[in-house]
Amino acid sequence: MEASLQMEFWRNGPQPGALYNFPGSQIWNQNEPTKRTLYPSVTGTSVLGLKFNDGVVIAGDKLGSYGSMARFRDLSRVLKVNDQVVVGASGDYADYQFLSEIIEQRVIEEECLNDGFGYTPSSLFSWLTRVMYNRRSNINPLWNTYVVAGWENNAPFLGYVDKIGTAYQAPTISSGYGAYIAQPLLRDALEKKPNMNVKDAIETIDRCMKVLYYRDARSLNKYELAIVTKDGVEIRSPVTSQPNWEIAHLIKGYE
Amino acid sequence: MFLTRSEYDRGVNTFSPEGRLFQVEYAIEAIKLGSTAIGIQTNEGVVLAVEKRVTSPLIEPSSIEKILEVDDHIGCAMSGLIADSRTLVDRARVEAQNHWFTYNEKMSVESVTQAVSNLALAFGDDDSEQAVMSRPFGVALLFAGIDKGGPQLYHMDPSGTFIKYEAKAIGSGSEGAQQALQDVYHKSMTLKEACKSALTILKQVMEEKLNSTNVEMSTVTAEKKFHVFSKQELEEVIKDI
Amino acid sequence: MEVLNNRGVEDYQTAGPKQSYFSPYSFNGGSILAVAGEDFAVIASDSRLSEGFSIHTRDQPKTYQLTQNTVVGACGFHGDVLTLIKVLKARIKMYLHEHNKDMSSTAVAAMLSTILYYRRFFPYYVYNIVAGIDDEGKGCVFSFDPVGSYEREPYRAGGSASSMLQPLMDNQVGFKNLPKQARVPLSKEEVVKKVRDGFISAAERDIYTGDEVVVNIITKDGVEVERFPLRKD
Repeated sequence: MEASLQMEFWRNGPQPGALYNFPGSQIWNQNEPTKRTLYPSVTGTSVLGLKFNDGVVIAGDKLGSYGSMARFRDLSRVLKVNDQVVVGASGDYADYQFLSEIIEQRVIEEECLNDGFGYTPSSLFSWLTRVMYNRRSNINPLWNTYVVAGWENNAPFLGYVDKIGTAYQAPTISSGYGAYIAQPLLRDALEKKPNMNVKDAIETIDRCMKVLYYRDARSLNKYELAIVTKDGVEIRSPVTSQPNWEIAHLIKGYE
Repeated sequence: MFLTRSEYDRGVNTFSPEGRLFQVEYAIEAIKLGSTAIGIQTNEGVVLAVEKRVTSPLIEPSSIEKILEVDDHIGCAMSGLIADSRTLVDRARVEAQNHWFTYNEKMSVESVTQAVSNLALAFGDDDSEQAVMSRPFGVALLFAGIDKGGPQLYHMDPSGTFIKYEAKAIGSGSEGAQQALQDVYHKSMTLKEACKSALTILKQVMEEKLNSTNVEMSTVTAEKKFHVFSKQELEEVIKDI
Repeated sequence: MEVLNNRGVEDYQTAGPKQSYFSPYSFNGGSILAVAGEDFAVIASDSRLSEGFSIHTRDQPKTYQLTQNTVVGACGFHGDVLTLIKVLKARIKMYLHEHNKDMSSTAVAAMLSTILYYRRFFPYYVYNIVAGIDDEGKGCVFSFDPVGSYEREPYRAGGSASSMLQPLMDNQVGFKNLPKQARVPLSKEEVVKKVRDGFISAAERDIYTGDEVVVNIITKDGVEVERFPLRKD
């Protein structure tokens, strides 16, 4: 009886001694079992990849989003593994940092042997696929999509692995939102010009990054570009694409 | 006191300076105390024959079993410490069934022998690895069977070495029996001839007089698979020798 | 005292515990089709790998040669497909080393069944069809469900367009509802033609089937591969 009276008294407020639960904040139940990373927090958006005649190029912008907030504006999501391999990551940034540290440590251990062997694009790709698949099998996924690019057997290499271990190689790859926006553009460009050179490839990627900046609300016009050829890895960062909003005022009806 | 020759037969996994494992060699010696067992491979099938030592009239002879079935298509004869063979034959049976379960096909005789031989050297006197046995097995085996390669006979000794034979004798009478097998064996031997030869040779090396209760014989053929001779069938063969 | 529910009180409502959805499975589409002949077997798949309304790649055939005369078709969740094929290849090599012989198609099928069933409570989400030559030299086809139930059949379709391919094969290869005189065993060339036509038709209606059809023709001498284009839209 007294309890319900008190409830009445404290209407629209928390219980005596309890804290306000602000909208959007999480409520943790102590009795719940421990949780794994079942959703991403700081995220990176699409990574694009394109093979050309004598190399491969990948790109990812420098934004780290926290939900819908553009939280970090200078994050790197492209990792140079060695002189013939780069990896680009989208999805949870912490998981990417975790894995990139493991990769870097393994590269150091490999270099200590000084036997001339190192990760090839296909060996790193295969290893990544196993890691991602095994993590998903333990229901403890790394919330990322990785794009592996490199130069091997005198040919470019481009591969995709996602958080459940789906993996494939293809001449064009786009993760995340880019799968809907950039992938058709990349495929179209490659179909129209099957023998691209570095310049063509970079121009194509730049155009796609720009379109993504127009259409993807979680993107930034500052991005990182990695080019792998027989001569090694070149990383260009930051690359800024200049948007043109001149026609923006013509779009009406969304105010 | 220490570096005398006999010191090296203490540890089961200690090599002697001449490079020998005495305990394994002693185990091979133990076979020579066992009852004689003979196997002969022919184009029609393989025959196994062993002597039973019925040392007392109060023994129930049928309780002495020295030829066992491993699978439909494989039989196994033994000589030496028969109790040790149980572990080995158990493994052979498990491996054969496992192979059938997984691949839906009969395991080859060689593969069964290989699988069992893996056990032979799985002994040790330290606690670091959990060994099945603390000493080598004191038994030799003859595996007889039929697979895609036709009738086959394999011999395996306590060292885990296994060798394919056309005819092989093991046990106390093995020296004389092996010589006799060499004289009598020929490639076009029929199974019937082989059965007769096996018993004839057993009769020569046995101390007791051979009869239908103190020998055991079985064949593995494509038609009858593994088959143990009944008393009547044995007598049928014995009367001709 | 009655404790407030964990959604807070009026005016201070929260969204409750945030639960994001993680599924360890996905469906990547693709169709497979196998037909057993007298002394040959044909197994084909398309080469499209998709997820939802996206095409991942147009060049990922879903048939994998395992031995001299055994090919398995596998589709469903591609991550499981990749893993399962790796496991199969490793097991076949181990078998070769242990028993000094190539695995027969029938043994591959039996082993696959056990591999699938060992994951009964976290299954490989993969539809498998094994095609090859049996111990008598006859063409053979084995179809599987994802948890290892299997059966030898004269022909079988699997994957996203199986419900279109299977009835077509019932009629064209199994001669169902045809007059007796039409029931003549098909030659290799005829089977390839019917399989190809099946895929062309399936690509018309199934968005997860298309780009290319890869046909494996298995005889005692080995495997021949032919490719034909399909709709790419």
